Amino acid sequence: MKAITANRLLDGEVVFWKAGQWVDAFGDAQLFDNDDAAVEAAVATGKGQPTVVVDVYPIDLTPSEGHWAPVSYRERIRALGPTNEPTHGKQAEGGEAIDALRHAAGAARSTGRVDLIRRK
Amino acid sequence: MSRLIKLTHGVAAYVEDTFVSLADEDAIPETGDVILSLSRFQLEGDALLSSNSRKVGVRIEPSEEVEALAYDLPRLALVAVAFPKFRDGRAYTSARLLRERLNYAGEVRAVGDVLQEQAGFMVRCGFDAFVPADGAGPEAWTRAVGRFRHVYQRAADGRPAALEERTA
Amino acid sequence: MYQYDAIDREFLVDRSNEFRGQVQRRLAGELTEDQFKPLRLMNGLYLQLHAYMLRVAIPYGSLNPAQMRRLAWIARTYDKGYGHMTTRQNIQFNWVKLKDAPDILDALAQVDLHAIQTSGNCIRNTTSDPYAGATAEEVDDPRVWCEVIRQWSTLHPEFSYLPRKFKIAVTASARDRTAAKVHDIGLMLRRARDGSLGFEVIVGGGQGRTPHVGPTIKEHLPVGRLLSYLEAVLRVYNRHGRRDNIYKARIKILVAALGAEEFGRQVEEEWAKIDAARADLPDTELARIRGAFAATPFETLPAVSEPFEAARAASPALQRFVRNNVKPHKKPGYAIVEISLKAQGQTPGDATADQLDVVADLAERYGLNDVRVTHAQNLVLPHVKLDDLPAVHAALAAADLATANIDLASDIIACPGLDYCALANARAIGVAQDIAAKFADEDRAETVGELKIKISGCINACGHHHVAHIGILGVDKKGEEFYQLSLGGSGAEDASIGKILGPALPADKVAGAIDTLVEAYLGLRNGEERFLDTYRRVGLEPFKEAVYVQAD
Repeated sequence: MKAITANRLLDGEVVFWKAGQWVDAFGDAQLFDNDDAAVEAAVATGKGQPTVVVDVYPIDLTPSEGHWAPVSYRERIRALGPTNEPTHGKQAEGGEAIDALRHAAGAARSTGRVDLIRRK
Repeated sequence: MSRLIKLTHGVAAYVEDTFVSLADEDAIPETGDVILSLSRFQLEGDALLSSNSRKVGVRIEPSEEVEALAYDLPRLALVAVAFPKFRDGRAYTSARLLRERLNYAGEVRAVGDVLQEQAGFMVRCGFDAFVPADGAGPEAWTRAVGRFRHVYQRAADGRPAALEERTA
Repeated sequence: MYQYDAIDREFLVDRSNEFRGQVQRRLAGELTEDQFKPLRLMNGLYLQLHAYMLRVAIPYGSLNPAQMRRLAWIARTYDKGYGHMTTRQNIQFNWVKLKDAPDILDALAQVDLHAIQTSGNCIRNTTSDPYAGATAEEVDDPRVWCEVIRQWSTLHPEFSYLPRKFKIAVTASARDRTAAKVHDIGLMLRRARDGSLGFEVIVGGGQGRTPHVGPTIKEHLPVGRLLSYLEAVLRVYNRHGRRDNIYKARIKILVAALGAEEFGRQVEEEWAKIDAARADLPDTELARIRGAFAATPFETLPAVSEPFEAARAASPALQRFVRNNVKPHKKPGYAIVEISLKAQGQTPGDATADQLDVVADLAERYGLNDVRVTHAQNLVLPHVKLDDLPAVHAALAAADLATANIDLASDIIACPGLDYCALANARAIGVAQDIAAKFADEDRAETVGELKIKISGCINACGHHHVAHIGILGVDKKGEEFYQLSLGGSGAEDASIGKILGPALPADKVAGAIDTLVEAYLGLRNGEERFLDTYRRVGLEPFKEAVYVQAD
């Protein structure tokens, strides 16, 4: 599963592609299920809007709590806001989709599963 | 095709470009003014200049040292200093050295990725002719000269630096 | 302090108007993002993860109360009520909109502030000693030379499109609080045996992917020849620095490739060709600038303050604050007061708008209208009367600004990391908070003593991890945050690059590992040795042993 993201030129806000529009919430993003041609077409459309958005690219998603979340931790921070200020950015809205992003594990968050150190 | 802009006494205007910029593999035309690469000039420049019927200019790339032209400058109608990318700042050094160290009084022409946003720096470094890559007209270059009421450095354009204004 | 005159002010207005036009042209589609990016960067505007970030220069780290209050106003009006002090004496606002940026630059210009050349491949804000003009250690006031460089480097026509960014630091004290040896150029003011002032010129230090402690290319540059010599260094770099590979474009790579001796020779050769009469600053202008800094209105005071001594005797909290945050001043009866922005749970280097206002008030009431920011992301009131220390301490405490931990383990330098920065691979803030929590016991932190822990969220090393006693570098391994530890770095006069301890650790193991390193140090140290001294004596192995043991 994929979504398409960018930053809005005017204010830098993280935005997501939804059927020809750019929306602020990841929960509203259009999901692309194994349709690379559709992703490519949407990305191309976005790149053709240089006075609207910058840095248009697709992101990979993974299931989380019945919702979808970006695989990459960086993309989850973009979709939420900074972790040191939990009331700043998109996460301030709260709700199920935000919680699902917060709890997503995927390959991204530091899980500590690689136990490199043992105490004497 | 971009048109040539020339700056005279702080005012920019379109002028006719009588020069043809030649690639090294191009044949030299029978007549007319030409711009050659540095290496080609060093091989063929003497012969061309001795014919005396045309003007010759040299194109300097960023990696080339403008000092190589020191003895030939009085014979050159122009030096075209190339910006392969607008971010390549070596051309500014080349232009300043032409003006301030080698005392070159002929035309110093900016060619390549020449954008109006960099015009102010170019003018201060001694460029007085421009072939804009962004289609900007003479008004943009005139504006660039006057954009800042003050400058902090002495440079090739002879503008008084802030420290000179303060004691004026 | 230096006061802007009509020339400086009109320059800022012109600059702001220029940028307003460029933003309009970008929004209208007349400039591509590729063309616009270097223009906005040279005005301090980045596009980060959540918004644009505006980096405002604090020239040589010096602010007056009106400027401080304007920064607070910007934090409230255009941000979410806070600003972030950087490791190069700048302040960053994290939530700026492109459409507001020209208005913010106008508001800054009204109080003689700007964001010029806080990014881009140009000469950046010159950094200096936050104790300048206040410490008895200095042989001259470094701010004089920073102001000289500020003017010379501002929109320099020849050196605004360098191969890569270019950072200069100036210090005049034997103790270096500027990290001069890891700058593109470090200028260390020294007095020669004949009494003449000169700069030791260090070129090609730096951090990032290839950290270097810079070599000295000139032992004693007469101060009056500074600008012509800088012009020579920059010209050699502009012409010969690499432009084919962004990771090899800093001057340190050129200096290392040529060797310091050959690089120095090329500079001397170029310097000899420069017309000194045109390039160097006339004595009259130097005297004008020097005069602006000489006029600090100190009072003649006794060396001992009885009200202060009485208050100190009665307050263990004040005693601790004085032990850690108060430094000796050159004038009797005055002190230098450091304000830590590293309270427990705080984001290192962040200050709220209210806190900025409190510090502005204190500077006005008790501090001769002078505030400094440090490369360690703290603030300084450089001129506080001993008599006023109890009142200043109380006011700071009321604003949660009296944390007594300067240079201790909880005074951690951290870049914004992956919480904000588009370049980061891992977060830095949370790790810093976890480590600081291990040293929440102030007695323990003082027992451990000076320990400089610095964290960068990527190899660009804004968090100065290479020159930390304990450095921490965030890396990305298959999408997970990991942290590589290094020991034994220093950014001070005894500069050195840290050595990597071992394999990177997952986020939740880092604070524990730091704790283990500190315990190992406490077991190894001789007398008053600092962590760094112990490390230099015993080497990496005992620490490695303590943190890593063979997995089963």
